[in-house]
Amino acid sequence: MIQNRRLEIITLVAALAFIAIFLVVSSGGTHEFSGSDDVGSQKIAELTGQPVESYQPLIPQYEPPSGEIEATLFALQAAFGGIVLGLVFGYWIGQKKLPPAS
Amino acid sequence: MHIMEGFLPWQWCLLWWIVALPFVIMGIFKLRSLVQKNREYLPLLGVCGAFIFILSALKLPSVTGSCSHPTGTGLSTVCFGVFITSVIGGVVLLFQSLLLAHGGLSTLGANMVSMAIGGPIAGYAIYRLLKDTSVNIYLTVFLVTVVADLVTYVITSFELALAYPAQVGGVVTSFTAFFLIFAVTQIPLAIVEGCVLALVFKYIVQMKPEILEKLDVFSHDQIEKARTILVQQPSREVQS
Repeated sequence: MIQNRRLEIITLVAALAFIAIFLVVSSGGTHEFSGSDDVGSQKIAELTGQPVESYQPLIPQYEPPSGEIEATLFALQAAFGGIVLGLVFGYWIGQKKLPPAS
Repeated sequence: MHIMEGFLPWQWCLLWWIVALPFVIMGIFKLRSLVQKNREYLPLLGVCGAFIFILSALKLPSVTGSCSHPTGTGLSTVCFGVFITSVIGGVVLLFQSLLLAHGGLSTLGANMVSMAIGGPIAGYAIYRLLKDTSVNIYLTVFLVTVVADLVTYVITSFELALAYPAQVGGVVTSFTAFFLIFAVTQIPLAIVEGCVLALVFKYIVQMKPEILEKLDVFSHDQIEKARTILVQQPSREVQS
């Protein structure tokens, strides 16, 4: 049984290790956990010597007015993926239970 | 891995758009002919797309004290190849640039080249290399996913370095600087992502091996081998 579930166990261990690393990193020192996109943008500003604010969008762009709204949109994106995933796996499980079409 | 809107000079935006477009157009054609050929591929396409949607929405904290998100393109690369993956990845990136201000329309080309094209190409190379060997198919999916994820960030670093070479040391120095920001953050994420997608692939193998065979993702023998190991192992334990 353990052999059969080897991949599940490996995944679980990897996920737990990931959480453990996060706990260790976040407990020591001050980390903002900002997005690496933003860190990258700051690096550009550092390399060019121009402040981040001086980079204006080339094409006007909608920006979520607050972090809450942004979180909603990201949740929607994940939910959409989750719905499709559940639908397909459900469909496959259902197909398996049916007798083969004659 | 997004390059934010406005952070890439327009010449570079244009160049990356020109690089990206042929892949997307080719992908749309391939997608159409695939779906027309057999409707049974559609659910698998849904699963692969769903994982790109879910995983690229998750911004996870990492060792460097900043957050980044997995790309999820590995599964789709293994099942459908580079071109179709570039379409699905492009849709996700379009959504994020239109509604979330993560990346933008001008930098969409560059972001597609890194996440939806470059990463999958590198992953696909690994897949071709390991496909007909005795390497376990789940290990192959794991490696493809990890490589597709990491190379995405390598290419992003490269795109930024080309546009912003450091005054001292030029492209190489700024590549290293960007690479350290993106890639180091990404390594733990890539490993977890690889495990998750390998696990998903296992469930697909268990439930729909015939689709994978029809798409010639892996050979009949390899899939049967992976399946029989799963079925036989409990009885082997009883014997011993």
